[in-house]
Amino acid sequence: MAQKRKRPKSLYHRAKDNQQFQAAMTVVLPVFLGMVILVLWQTQTLHQIFHTDTFTLPLIDRIGTIFIENRAKIWENVKATMTVALIGLVLGSLLGYLIAILAAFFPKMGTGGLSVIGAFASIPVVALAPVMNNWTKGVSSDANTRSMVAKILVVMLIAAANMGLNAYRGLTELKPYALDLMAVYAAKRRTVFQKLQLPNSVPYIFVALKVSVPASIMTTIVSEYFAEYIIGVGRQIRENIVLAQYSTAWAYIATACLLGIVSYVILMVLQKILLRNYH
Amino acid sequence: MSELEKNVEIEIRDLSVTFKDNSGNDVQALTAVNLDIYKGEFISLLGPSGCGKTTLLRCISDLQEPTDGTVRIDGMTPKEIRLKQKFGFVFQQPVLFDWRTVKKNVELPLEIMYESKAERAKRADEMLELVGLQNFANHYPKQLSGGMQQRVNIARAFGSWPELLLMDEPFSALDEFTKEKLHEDLLRIWRQTNKTIIFVTHNIQEAVFLSDRICVLSPHPGRLSAIVDVDLPRPRTLEMKDTQHFNDLVLKVRNSFEGGSV
Amino acid sequence: MKSKKEKMLSTLLWIVFLVIAWEVGACIVAVTKRSPENILPHLYQIIAAACSTKQVSAGMSATMVVLTSARATILRALVGFAVGASIGFLLALIMKLSGFFEKMLFPYLMLIQLIPVLGLAPIILSITGDINKSRIVIAAILSFYPVATNTLAGFHSVEKEKYDLMYIYAAPKWMIYLKVLIPSSIPYFFTGMKIAAPMAITASILVDTLQGDGGMGCMLSQSLKHAMSIYVFWLIVIFSAFIGIFSSYLMNWIEKLVSPAKRVG
Repeated sequence: MAQKRKRPKSLYHRAKDNQQFQAAMTVVLPVFLGMVILVLWQTQTLHQIFHTDTFTLPLIDRIGTIFIENRAKIWENVKATMTVALIGLVLGSLLGYLIAILAAFFPKMGTGGLSVIGAFASIPVVALAPVMNNWTKGVSSDANTRSMVAKILVVMLIAAANMGLNAYRGLTELKPYALDLMAVYAAKRRTVFQKLQLPNSVPYIFVALKVSVPASIMTTIVSEYFAEYIIGVGRQIRENIVLAQYSTAWAYIATACLLGIVSYVILMVLQKILLRNYH
Repeated sequence: MSELEKNVEIEIRDLSVTFKDNSGNDVQALTAVNLDIYKGEFISLLGPSGCGKTTLLRCISDLQEPTDGTVRIDGMTPKEIRLKQKFGFVFQQPVLFDWRTVKKNVELPLEIMYESKAERAKRADEMLELVGLQNFANHYPKQLSGGMQQRVNIARAFGSWPELLLMDEPFSALDEFTKEKLHEDLLRIWRQTNKTIIFVTHNIQEAVFLSDRICVLSPHPGRLSAIVDVDLPRPRTLEMKDTQHFNDLVLKVRNSFEGGSV
Repeated sequence: MKSKKEKMLSTLLWIVFLVIAWEVGACIVAVTKRSPENILPHLYQIIAAACSTKQVSAGMSATMVVLTSARATILRALVGFAVGASIGFLLALIMKLSGFFEKMLFPYLMLIQLIPVLGLAPIILSITGDINKSRIVIAAILSFYPVATNTLAGFHSVEKEKYDLMYIYAAPKWMIYLKVLIPSSIPYFFTGMKIAAPMAITASILVDTLQGDGGMGCMLSQSLKHAMSIYVFWLIVIFSAFIGIFSSYLMNWIEKLVSPAKRVG
C-alpha cells in the first residue's frame, strides 16, 4: 500500500498556517496601508487623484503646524462640542432607559411607544436642529446658552431613541425560564426587576452606547451648523471653509476624527472595567 | 449478511489523529485504529464523548487529515472519493438553508453535481416522498419541526445517490418518539437504496437497533476497543427492543467499553 | 395575529397622543409667543399651507416648492446610497475572499464609523466643487460602511457545518460563494441598508444647506431666514422626517420582496 508522503509545504502555505505570522499581519498590514496613504498625501499623489490642490487639501505637516498654533482655540471648541455631546448623551440615555423601564412594565402601551421612538431615530438631524433652535429662543437671553440647550436637546433625542430600543430588549429578552424561576419563588415585581431585568440589561446598555457615542458627536457637529451661536468643532470646519482657510478647517476635521476615536476608546475601557463580571 | 457477500469497501489501517489543545499539548484523539467496512453494511461507531468517533468519521470523509495511517475506499483515498462526489453526510444539526424551500434544499447537492433541472426535481420529489414530506416541498425550513428538518437533512443526503452515507449523531437532538419513527424510516430507506452507512452515536440502544456491526470506541486516548456483531434479524421492528436477545446485545456492548463505566 | 394587532393599536394610540400633545403645545404657544408659527404652528395650519395654491416662491405653491426641491435631494441621496451600498457589499466580499485585504482594511472600516463623516461635508464640497457630486459622495460614504460591516458579519455568520457540507460534495469555491455565503449575507446586507438609508437622506439634506442649489435643505434654510413662508420650513421638517422613516420601511419591504423565506413564519 502506498504510504502517503507529506509534501514539503510552500512558503505561502507555511505563512498561512503560522498563527504568530497571521497575528503580526493584523497589525502590520493596516499600519502599512496608513503609511502608504500618508506618503501619497505628502507627495501630493492624492491631490492628483482627486484633482485638487494643496490649498484645499493641505499637506500633513501644514495641518499639523496649524493644529499646534491654534491649539488654545481648538481646545475651546472641543470643550463646547464635548459638553453638548456628553450632556446630551447622558441625559438622553437616562431618558431612554426610563422609557424602556416604563415600556417593560406596561408592555401593552410600551411596544407601540417604542416603535414611535424608533421612528424618531430615523428623522434626519437636519430637520430636528432648526426646530429645536426655534423652541429654545426664550430659554435664555444669552445666545451661547440658548444654542447649547438646542443642541443638547437634539443629541438627547437621538441618544434616547437608541437607548430606549436597546434597553427594552435588555429588560425583556431574558434567559429562558428565568422569569419562571422567579415566579416559582413568588418574587415581587420589584425583586424581579432588581435581580433579573436590571443586570440583564447592562450589556445592552453598552450595545446602545457603542452606537450612541459616535452618533452623539456626529449629531452635535451637525446641530452646530444650524446653531445661532458660532462655536464647536463642527461649526469651525464650516466657518473656516467659508473663509477659505482650508488648513484650519482640516485641523478641525482632524480634531473631530480624534474626538470620535478617543471617546470610543474611553467607552471600551469603561466597558472592560464595568463588564468584568459578565461573559 | 453471509460471509460470502462480504466485500471490503473501506480499509482503515493504523489510523491515528493527534490534536493540539489550547495549551499546546498533544491530545491523542485516535490511536492505531484498524477496521474494515463492508459494502452495503450498516455500521455504527459508538462511544462516549471524547472517544474520537466523530474524528474517525471525519477522516473517512476527508474532513480531517489523519496524523498517521491510511484510509482506502475502494482502493482510493478519501479525497479522491470526495472529489468524485460519492459521499453523503448527515450532520447532528439539520444544516438547512433558510432561504431555500425544502425541495430546493434537497436539490442542493444535485446542483453542485450539475444535474439537469428536470432530474433534480424528479429526484427531490422521490426523496421527499421517501421521508414522507411530499406535502411540505414548498415550505421553508423554519416552518418545520425539528424532526421534519432532520428528515429533510436525510433526504438531501440520500438524494445525491451516494456510495457511502456518513451520519454524525443525526438523531441525538430529537425526542424519543421522533427518534423511533426516524429509525424505522432510515432502515426502510437503507433497505431500498442499499448504501453503506457509517453511523456515529453515543446511544447504545440506537446502535444495536440499527446496525449490522458496532465499533465500540473508548476515550483517553481514543481507540477502537471492540467490534460487536448484531445478529438481530432484518427487517427490524420496534418490538425487538423488548426481547431478551436485544437486551443481551445491549449488555454485551456496554461491557465491551474499556476503562470501566462510562 | 393578536400581538401584532395590539402593537399597531398602541402605536396608533401613541401617534394620537403625540398629535394631541402637539396641538396643546400649539395652543399654549399661540397665546404666549409673538410669532407662534415659527415655534409651533397648529397642525391644521401646516395642512392648510400644504393644500393652499398661494404662490410662495417663483410661481410655485408651498407643496410644489417642497416636492421639486425634494426631488433633487432624494435623487442624489438615492444615487449615493446605491453607489455606497454596492461598494459596501463588494468591499465585504473582497474582504471575505482575501484575508490579506480583510486584515488590511478591517481596522479602517471600524475607524470610519467613529469619524463624524457629516462634518466632512463642507470639505468634500470644496474638493469636488460640485454640489451634486458631493451629495452623492457623502451619501455614499455614509451608506457604505454600515452595509460593509453588516455584510461582512453576514459572511462570518455562516456555520462551519455549511462549509463542511459543501466540502463533502466537493463544491468549487465560486459555488460556495454563490449558494451559501452570498445568500447568508443578504439579511445582514439589508440590516446595513436599513441603517444607511436614513443616513443617506440626512447627508443629502445637509449638503443642500451648504450651498444654494434648490435642494430641500436649501429651501429649509431660506424659509428659516424668512425668504419665503415659514410653513415651507414646517412642511420640509415633516416631509424629511417622513422620508427618513419611510426609507427604513422601504428597505424592509424590498427585503421581503427579494427573500420569500422572510414572508413566511
